[in-house]
Amino acid sequence: MKVEIYNHMIRNGLSRRGILKGAASVGALATLGGVATGLSAGRALAQDNLRAEILKVPGVGQGSPGDSDWQKVGEMCLGPTKEVVAEGEFAGVELTFMGLNNQNLHNFLFRGFLKPWEAYTGAKINWIDLAQADYNARLQQSIATGTVDFDIIEMGAPFEGDVLGKGLASEMPDWVKTQIDMDDYVGYLKAPVGTWDGKTYRISIDGDCHTFCYRKDYYENAEFAEAWAAAGNTTEWAPPKTWAEVQAQSKFLAGKTDPLTGLEAHGFLDPLKGWGGFGFYFLEDRATAYAKHPNDPAWLFDPDTMKPRVNNPAFVQAIQDVMDLIATPGAYPADQINADPGTTAFSQFLAGSGGMLAWWGDVGSSARTSDTSVVGDVVGFSTLPGSEKVWNAASGAWDETPNEAPNMAYIGWGVYVMARVDGDEKRHKAAWSAAAHLGGKDIALWMSAYPSGFQPYRNSQFQYDEWEAAGYDRAFIEDYLGSNADSYNHVNAAIEPRIPGIFQYYSVAEDELAKGFAGQYAGAQETADAIAAAWEKITDQIGRDSQIALYKASLGM
Amino acid sequence: MTQDGDLLHVVTADNISVARRRAGQALIWGSAGIMALVALSQVLQTTGTRDFGFETWRPTLYAYAFWSACLCAGQVITRGEQGKRVLFVLPAALFVLSMVVFPLIFGLGIAFSSWNLSSPDGRQFNGLDNIRQMWADPFYWNALRNMVWYVLAILPEYAVAFGLALLLNAQIRARKFFRVAFLMPLMLSPVAVSWMVGKSMMEVRFGPLARLARALGWDNPSFFGSPEIARATIMLMDAWTFIPFMMIMILAGLQAIPKELQEAARVDGASAWRSFWEVTFPLMLPVSITAILIRVIFKLKLADIIINVTSGGPGGATDSVTSFIFREYRDRSNVGYGTLLAMVYLVIIVIAMTVLMKLADRWMRPRY
Repeated sequence: MKVEIYNHMIRNGLSRRGILKGAASVGALATLGGVATGLSAGRALAQDNLRAEILKVPGVGQGSPGDSDWQKVGEMCLGPTKEVVAEGEFAGVELTFMGLNNQNLHNFLFRGFLKPWEAYTGAKINWIDLAQADYNARLQQSIATGTVDFDIIEMGAPFEGDVLGKGLASEMPDWVKTQIDMDDYVGYLKAPVGTWDGKTYRISIDGDCHTFCYRKDYYENAEFAEAWAAAGNTTEWAPPKTWAEVQAQSKFLAGKTDPLTGLEAHGFLDPLKGWGGFGFYFLEDRATAYAKHPNDPAWLFDPDTMKPRVNNPAFVQAIQDVMDLIATPGAYPADQINADPGTTAFSQFLAGSGGMLAWWGDVGSSARTSDTSVVGDVVGFSTLPGSEKVWNAASGAWDETPNEAPNMAYIGWGVYVMARVDGDEKRHKAAWSAAAHLGGKDIALWMSAYPSGFQPYRNSQFQYDEWEAAGYDRAFIEDYLGSNADSYNHVNAAIEPRIPGIFQYYSVAEDELAKGFAGQYAGAQETADAIAAAWEKITDQIGRDSQIALYKASLGM
Repeated sequence: MTQDGDLLHVVTADNISVARRRAGQALIWGSAGIMALVALSQVLQTTGTRDFGFETWRPTLYAYAFWSACLCAGQVITRGEQGKRVLFVLPAALFVLSMVVFPLIFGLGIAFSSWNLSSPDGRQFNGLDNIRQMWADPFYWNALRNMVWYVLAILPEYAVAFGLALLLNAQIRARKFFRVAFLMPLMLSPVAVSWMVGKSMMEVRFGPLARLARALGWDNPSFFGSPEIARATIMLMDAWTFIPFMMIMILAGLQAIPKELQEAARVDGASAWRSFWEVTFPLMLPVSITAILIRVIFKLKLADIIINVTSGGPGGATDSVTSFIFREYRDRSNVGYGTLLAMVYLVIIVIAMTVLMKLADRWMRPRY
């Protein structure tokens, strides 16, 4: 769970009674466990017991967990490791783990979790802690200079092209797949994500996707509803289901007054400024419903030629929609041309500017948890809007069928073992065992319930009863997790290409979009063509043939 | 002791035998040979011709360090006291050679290569392709054009700094307080300025500057909405940070001017303006030119505020060469092209600064 969400729960959401109620339910479950007979039922209950027990460390409402708590959870979750590793089996093995130190979590958390693992197995782990901003450069330089000096790495899926595509990672052994129960992963994290050429490499520890946040009070406002009908709109004044509705509502809201703040009302908040490549995800949000055909896993590039699809009618439609809103006076707040995604989410939407926003799962809940948020009671969530039509790249024409394609932006963090352990059987098993310990099913529940920096990524993490039993407010949790779960398991989820240098493509697209949005190109098509031309150059520089091969491999083609 | 030669500067005249000289020469050339051999082996290893088991370039580095030590020792062996004198400079020269010249040569090698860190082929020499790409790169030329504007903004900055320095040089109340207060912006990190001023105070809804602008009658204040205003805002933020720097240099210059000159001008009946224009300003020219030159160097490196506040937008209107190279290099891992852009920029800077210093030299000659 993100730190701010946890802090909010602690500050506002939990009463002592609530916690006691939760503890009582857990106790009742434990009692039932004692009554039940039969081996399998007993094991299942022991498992439930463990899950309930780890959620008590340190206990919801008992302050933020620290190293001793992480070690305790690590110790309690050692069961699956003990089934495959004998005590002291890895004595003398030293491994290096490279990861992040964001918010004093990530690697710090892993250290605590792995300490009991080290004590049990006899292995020793050395740590390389990196700030987020240094991560990409460090990884790229290690790869480019052939100085991979780590055995295990915490890495985002977009980098898989750079690492897996170059054969730098170790293939996951079958016993690990069993230990971490991969079938429990949410839909989009199952193969081909985490796999390369049909081989599995990734242990997921996090999930990521963009969801849609909207202001409920806008739609409960009678004046808006009347004005909407009076303007000749035949559709209901309700949260939009398609991007066309988002457009119509955004234009309609220009010049209106916000019912909550009394300032200017606005519709959808597009970030018009780059964000180190991450800003392109937000144009993708508008485009995926038009561009991701259910019968085609590819949507950003043609997998046979690496020809960009970013200038096809689907993306041009998305860019045109943004340009239309730029041309509509009052549709955006002033200075929107200088607003990056951080601004749209935290300075605008949470501060009461704007009615709709696409962001990662946590911003919606930050609406209720952030001290600076004024929209906590009026925010609603859904999956990203859909479209009335979808571009069919195979036929080169629009299919006039409704479509939805939630954008799995960034896919999430995972743990990978590097190929350099492959030569030594003992190191290989030790590295995979450590990684599997971090990616375990029960530890995952704890990570989603307490501050860890990670979002849920397993279906078992969406069992709201467990959360309620632990003392959480069910309504909040369902609200917080529901839109994520629906996006993760969507059959037509849009998953970005895991090819080398994907952020280079995003970064240059941001530069060209900025020019387009500033009116330096003739229109949406010309802007899209400029992006496509820049992407072709990057593909040629990295190597077209290898990119095609790697893209196909990442798609499992 | 010898009676010939430079007796004034020589403390001990060595009688160096031929054998000793030869031994010294052998040490120098022998170690140079070893270095050449190791370097050659390394090149063969890198090109894949032969395998010597060298995993990194460290053997060559060690050979260079060995040769450097032998060269220094050889100087003393072959030249005696003269050699010892060389030792005062030679190690520093070798250090500079290894820390500046070699990296520059490697840098040039990278600049003429296609090297995208994501490419499986690694670094590939591509001749003049990067220069051709630069020639046709509208983003780079746009950034260079912006730099001209940014550099020109130094002139008004200089005028303001001069004015402030004159004020602080005058007998005003709380002079010491104002000197410290005016220096404060210079002590702030540009990143802090970006967030405090660019992102917070200029926030269009709640920022105090936006509120002030509204109170002054600007209905919809927008500090980064149009290219011209955005560029001007960046210039203002940068000026706010660095005017104190010029001010403090000019103030130091003003305080060094003998009071008698001003008094003489006053006795001669010069007005305040004439005594400034005919006496103070010409006397301040050397300091002013130095302050402006240093400021130009600072300005050419302008990047942090832009990266944090506008990312070069809207549409590249505020992009500086450094912020563009940062995106090309960091966000796009385009090491070869990014290095070439930096090298070209370095050449442009060196030429421009040389011309500027020549001109400054001419301006600063007394006008009699």
